[in-house]
Amino acid sequence: MNKSLLQRALQNPLSKAGFVIIVLVFLLAMLAPVIAPYDPNDINVKAILLSPSWQHWMGTDGLGRDVLSRMLYGGRISLLVGLVAVGISTAIGILLGAIAGYYRGWVDTLIMRLVDVMLSIPSFFLILAVIAFLTPSIINVMIVIGLTSWMGVTRLVRAEFLSLSGREFVLASRTLGAKDARLIFTHLLPNSLTPIIVSSVLGVAGAVLMESGLSFLGLGVQAPQASWGNILTDGKDYIQFAWWLSLFPGLAILITVLGYNLLGEGLRDALDPRSENNR
Amino acid sequence: MKNLAFLINQFLKRNAKYRVIATCLVLSACGDSSQELSAQALSNLNKSYPSQSGGTLLDATIGEPSGLIYMVAGESAAGAISSNIFNKLLKYDKNLDLEGELVEGWQVSSDQKTITFKLKPNLKWSDGKPLTSADVLWTWQAVTDEKTRSPYASDFQLVKKAETPDALTFSVTYDQAYAPALDSWAGLQILPKHLLQGQDLHTTAFARKPVGSNYYKLDSWANGENIKLSRNPSSVLGQAKIDNLVTRIIPDSSAQFLELMADNIDSMGLDPIKYVRIIPARPELKQKLALYKELGNSYTYMGFNLKRKPYDDVRVRKAINYAIDKQEIIDGVYLGLGIDIASPYKPGTRWSNPDLKPYPYDPKKAKVLLKEAGFTDIDGDGVLERDGKPFSFEILTNQNKEREKSAVLIQRRLKNVGIQANVRAIEWASFISRFIKTGDFDVVILGWGLGLDPDQFNIWHSSQQAPGQFNFIGYNNPSIDKLLEQGRTELNPDKRQKIYHEFARVLLEDSPIVYLSAGYGLSAIHKRVKGIENPAPPAGVGWNTYDWYIPEPLRRPVSGRTEISAN
Repeated sequence: MNKSLLQRALQNPLSKAGFVIIVLVFLLAMLAPVIAPYDPNDINVKAILLSPSWQHWMGTDGLGRDVLSRMLYGGRISLLVGLVAVGISTAIGILLGAIAGYYRGWVDTLIMRLVDVMLSIPSFFLILAVIAFLTPSIINVMIVIGLTSWMGVTRLVRAEFLSLSGREFVLASRTLGAKDARLIFTHLLPNSLTPIIVSSVLGVAGAVLMESGLSFLGLGVQAPQASWGNILTDGKDYIQFAWWLSLFPGLAILITVLGYNLLGEGLRDALDPRSENNR
Repeated sequence: MKNLAFLINQFLKRNAKYRVIATCLVLSACGDSSQELSAQALSNLNKSYPSQSGGTLLDATIGEPSGLIYMVAGESAAGAISSNIFNKLLKYDKNLDLEGELVEGWQVSSDQKTITFKLKPNLKWSDGKPLTSADVLWTWQAVTDEKTRSPYASDFQLVKKAETPDALTFSVTYDQAYAPALDSWAGLQILPKHLLQGQDLHTTAFARKPVGSNYYKLDSWANGENIKLSRNPSSVLGQAKIDNLVTRIIPDSSAQFLELMADNIDSMGLDPIKYVRIIPARPELKQKLALYKELGNSYTYMGFNLKRKPYDDVRVRKAINYAIDKQEIIDGVYLGLGIDIASPYKPGTRWSNPDLKPYPYDPKKAKVLLKEAGFTDIDGDGVLERDGKPFSFEILTNQNKEREKSAVLIQRRLKNVGIQANVRAIEWASFISRFIKTGDFDVVILGWGLGLDPDQFNIWHSSQQAPGQFNFIGYNNPSIDKLLEQGRTELNPDKRQKIYHEFARVLLEDSPIVYLSAGYGLSAIHKRVKGIENPAPPAGVGWNTYDWYIPEPLRRPVSGRTEISAN
């Protein structure tokens, strides 16, 4: 089913473009140690702020480090943070959503009010506030983003569960004596998986952006490790002169986030029974 | 993503100043015609003009002062503005010799314990009330009052007795001869007793609408936007040339630089990259900006928390000192605009000990010392261990580009000798309150800005370790304590020099901090501002701002870009 969903989504040229972008970005990041022309942390104080040339395709930064190599390694951080954070938030979302949607009653009310409370706080401020109390590190960033962005998935899963649990195949299974766990894991969850996947793909885009934002503010990945966000910060002061320090990481963030969004939208359209492509 | 866009939007809506910047960007982007117009103006910039009064100088500050009572604010942002409003008893002239500011003269008694100041006659506050010795006495009482909690209190606590025999005479008597006494009176801004008596200096409204006696008085203060000063007609020192000083609050140095380029501010401090690389490479900037450089009375260092292991071991401190290549930092981060030092004083001054040499870069020696101290790489992972624990620490610094870069260079050098260092840059206010005041750090990179007197009692004396005091690294060395105590009471300059040379020698040998460099203060000032001494005299570029002038043909049009941007 997933495969056919992806195939349907890829009929749309825009979501195909999104898919290609993501695969490319992943390949570049995975192959960073092979294709990066320099060590990303190799300092050369005699070659600071060089503009792009054949030696340094994307120029060098304020400590003479090769920007292209840092971009490639930084890509790994961005993608890793995106995937792990979304993994955490999806796991929490599924768990809470399933409990709320299956058991209903006061548990449902409790969880949904918790969701409302969490959603009422602007998420960037929330993450900023939490990170400020911790040591900034890539692991903390992943965990904090994950722990503060599960609300959408929870709502989604709950809604799916509510609508599915009245359906005949679930009722049939229940009359045959299936236990709660069996009902949840073999009937309800597999049937709500597709919307979860769509929301996760869109969630990765948000997490990549969030990580860049935190690193830009100095609260994410710490020196000397590269991340698109902190390369961007380094370039901020010299934006008019060392444009390559701002342009390339900015473009990388833009393209990656765009890729995830295009693919996510495509998947959503493919899921929508009223959409043109699916008739 | 939606959230972020929303956030930015909200931010723009709330913070008018960012809109201002946006406006200016637009204006400068479509300013082609004005560029052509200014070709004539540009050539005018290099002509010489007779000194004349009038005009407005636009300046910028990164941080908004919390108030303009310097003895409680204690921050450079406040000092830069309050020094234009208030006077001190004494001041340093351009060659750093003391002269009277509010006083005609002063006398030191033969036992060196009593100083008698004679105020100039007919001094007035800008509200017209007379300024008398009662104001000076009240200011001294305020700064030493415990409730004031002034960081400068210790400079004045040794005063045993202060008296005002008449309205023009103020005398202070110390317990024993106190060498930094005159320097301390050249730092204390005198406040008006009649407006402040009985008020809490931390909460008084006076801090935001001060009344002073100096060249300028406060006109208006728009929160988060600008602070406007205008000439004080009853200034006790005569009249300054420039009519208005406007300090715009622009909390980001890149935005400040955009404003400097767009001609919306006249001066700003520069980092080495802007000074060495960017401005000289752009003819249109070089034509209108004059660059200034002065060796500051300050230095950058890496300090250890001496209360923690293994930094209590002098071998470890020395090893780290040998492992760091200071010249690399000076060349790579400061682009050569720094000097390596071995005394905690401005290089070339009499207090700096010329016989001392900085620790050379010698990783081999570092490794030997670390081995002596018991560090060996047992598990072969490239990081040294002692008692089964790897040698690793966090270098904390504030979000200062040069310090962050220095930390990354140091991190690499330490790795070569088997020390694993992590770098963490923290916003200034939380850095001070969370880590420095609580003493919760291993290693920090920071700087000291120093006074002209060599006394560094509050930085190094073992009694100065309470939270909020300056000896936060926990340095405790009886021989240093003794030298500092001697230095404060020795009035013979030659003997004093010997004491502080010895002090610097012991300090270098003990290596409680690693001196990184003494840096230059770099700034750019628009060429429309005339009367600036270049090269800077010992007292610095800004010693005679009252004599700076902006010739009429070079002034900004009264209604024009500046007006738009100032609102």
